[in-house]
Amino acid sequence: MNLHLSPAPHVHSPQSTRVLMLNVIVALLPCVIAGVWVFGFAALATVLVSTVAAVLGELVWQALTKQKVRVDDLSAAVTGLILGLNLPAGAPWWLAALGGVFAVVIVKGLFGGLGDNFINPALAARAMLLASWPKYLTHWPAPAGVDAVTAATPLASPGSYTTAQLFLGRIPGAIGEVCKLAILIGFVYLVVTKTISWRIPVAMVASAALCGWVLGANPVATALSGGLLFGAVFMATDYVTCPMTVPGQWVYAVGAGLLVAIFRRFSVYPEGVTYAILLANISAPLLDRCFRRRVYGHEKGEKA
Amino acid sequence: MSSNRTFRGGVHPLHGSHEGKAPTRGEAVRDYIAQTVTILMGMHLGAPSTPCVQVGDHVKLGQPIGEPVGFLGLPVHASVSGEVVAVGPVQSVTNPSAMAVTIKNDFKDEWVPLNPLGDVETCPADQIVPAIKAAGVCGMGGASFPTHVKFAVKEGQYCDTIILNGAECETHLTCDHRLMLEDSKRIVDGLRAAMRALGVKKGVIAIEDNKPDAIEAMRKAAQGREGVEVMPLLTKYPQGGEKQLIHVVTGREVPTKKLPLDVHVIVLNVGTAKAIADAVIDGRPLISRITTVTGHVKKPSNLRVRVGTPVSDLIRECGGYSIPESDVGKVVMGGAMTGFPCPHDRVPVAKANNGVVVYSQREAVELEESPCIRCGRCIDACPIGLNPCKLKYLCDAGDMKRAGEENVMDCVVCGSCSYICPARRRLTTSFKAMKDKIAAEARKGKG
Repeated sequence: MNLHLSPAPHVHSPQSTRVLMLNVIVALLPCVIAGVWVFGFAALATVLVSTVAAVLGELVWQALTKQKVRVDDLSAAVTGLILGLNLPAGAPWWLAALGGVFAVVIVKGLFGGLGDNFINPALAARAMLLASWPKYLTHWPAPAGVDAVTAATPLASPGSYTTAQLFLGRIPGAIGEVCKLAILIGFVYLVVTKTISWRIPVAMVASAALCGWVLGANPVATALSGGLLFGAVFMATDYVTCPMTVPGQWVYAVGAGLLVAIFRRFSVYPEGVTYAILLANISAPLLDRCFRRRVYGHEKGEKA
Repeated sequence: MSSNRTFRGGVHPLHGSHEGKAPTRGEAVRDYIAQTVTILMGMHLGAPSTPCVQVGDHVKLGQPIGEPVGFLGLPVHASVSGEVVAVGPVQSVTNPSAMAVTIKNDFKDEWVPLNPLGDVETCPADQIVPAIKAAGVCGMGGASFPTHVKFAVKEGQYCDTIILNGAECETHLTCDHRLMLEDSKRIVDGLRAAMRALGVKKGVIAIEDNKPDAIEAMRKAAQGREGVEVMPLLTKYPQGGEKQLIHVVTGREVPTKKLPLDVHVIVLNVGTAKAIADAVIDGRPLISRITTVTGHVKKPSNLRVRVGTPVSDLIRECGGYSIPESDVGKVVMGGAMTGFPCPHDRVPVAKANNGVVVYSQREAVELEESPCIRCGRCIDACPIGLNPCKLKYLCDAGDMKRAGEENVMDCVVCGSCSYICPARRRLTTSFKAMKDKIAAEARKGKG
């Protein structure tokens, strides 16, 4: 008999890192399918290129730096998938690949790998691509079957689309962000499987809609336009870069929503979700310091 | 009978499979008497007792074989009658060299003369605590704190509530559940004896709501007994943790570095209450206990065994391992959240050993630690309100000062954070090591 002597606890929750990441991938599939439905197979190619690039990038980076190769935790696949869904269908393949590698090597790997990056890798990569090659990320292909090569997004020309079009996604935009129905299916899946809490997405969208309304925008259109819903569900909820404490998460999400409303109203870009979440990411460690739970048997704020 | 009474945080280990309790909760307790028992001298928290018998001596059932040492000392009694065949160090669950007395059973069960105090409601109240000490009673829920020391109320202190812990929140274990069903009256007798010893007016028997039959049985037994009530609690781990239980039952928090008596509460396991009743009513020392044997054994059972029975006897009495012996990966003394892994299956059962759980090799493989993804699940799960994620970095870096500032000493080592961590980080293990290190340092400073 060869008995193990590892200490308690002797059971573990079935939710491992890989299971959680797999849940996110499954939750993203409706967005991939909707993207193909709206934009055709060019959308699938873009998403696949960025995903494969992110996974290969992480694999090569970890091998070169003599770390344990951990691509089987699926976190790089999630990053690549989310980045691809943030790009326009049919974006140049090198753009998608470069973004994927930048996300996992520069934003994540250089800062210590999974868990140590201070901003969301996919969003940072998108911001880098937007700053470096703006022409590819500000011109959006129209849905397949619509007579136009590129078209203005709903944010650039408010009022030109019906609520049903906004909801189902027959509009120009990034692959994953156009179909709100698909995003909501993914959201419900993530909440039901307890992968994420409903807190951050709901608070962020509500805050953006409310603040946008104060600034003169239609709250329903705000919620259904651009990358807000996709960002709130899949990117603001990134474990690594959102606060860990519940009150911290409330402030973070409401703040990110407020920034979205401000950027959309006042900035030169029609879209502000990327920068809103990136700024909120940076505030996360501070928020966690501010909102500590009271320790049992201690007065509030008392130190040992 | 379901309840919303609970604490903040916690986890639901093995929730989908009734906390692993299903195989044994319907198993009535049966007796098993071993041929040879190896009785440890250090079964309680505190200095081990000194053996007071020699090889070749004939001992009677209940005869003292170990004398108490020091303030936390407790006597140890023969759990069978027969001949002493060995006195010397043996391997226990946690100690490779633990002093023990081995007795070969003559199966006569000849008792030493006992000094019963009789009915718990009418016996002299001032003789109750001495009787508990003489019977060698210690906490039977796991921590094995000497019970009479819990009753040592200091000048200026008082106790107004005694809580009986029938939560049994650990996975797999059903020994307290069965005891509450089969010996309800004795448990209430033990509680009343404890209440009378200290003049306490209120006794609460707290039980998780996954045991409605036990709640019913205890309510029936408590009927007409002065000041005794039964309180159902939500089923959540670690509901039976002392600090959590006190907060849920009384609304009071034990201040950091203080004891339950500082908030006027004493907590006793239901098994301890039964041992108190035996000590007072019959004058009988603590020589047997109920142990749940489950996991990969052919017939999972609740066995009433004599203290010192080897684990291998328990396994055999349960039909042996249900998997090939080479596939047995871990034998855990206690539940899955806080139990201790046995170095081999011949270690003896001590007074506080409430369960033996057998795991297969596949279940026992230690999961590899991976990077923290800062999901915050450990923070939500901690019943104390610590930040396990941050604390782990400080403990692994050996930063005693900052780990202390982050209140590592308040960690109750319940295992909730390690259980819930998706990156499989061994948080509890790090905190336990750091707590031991800081405590050792403090002792050195004093000495």
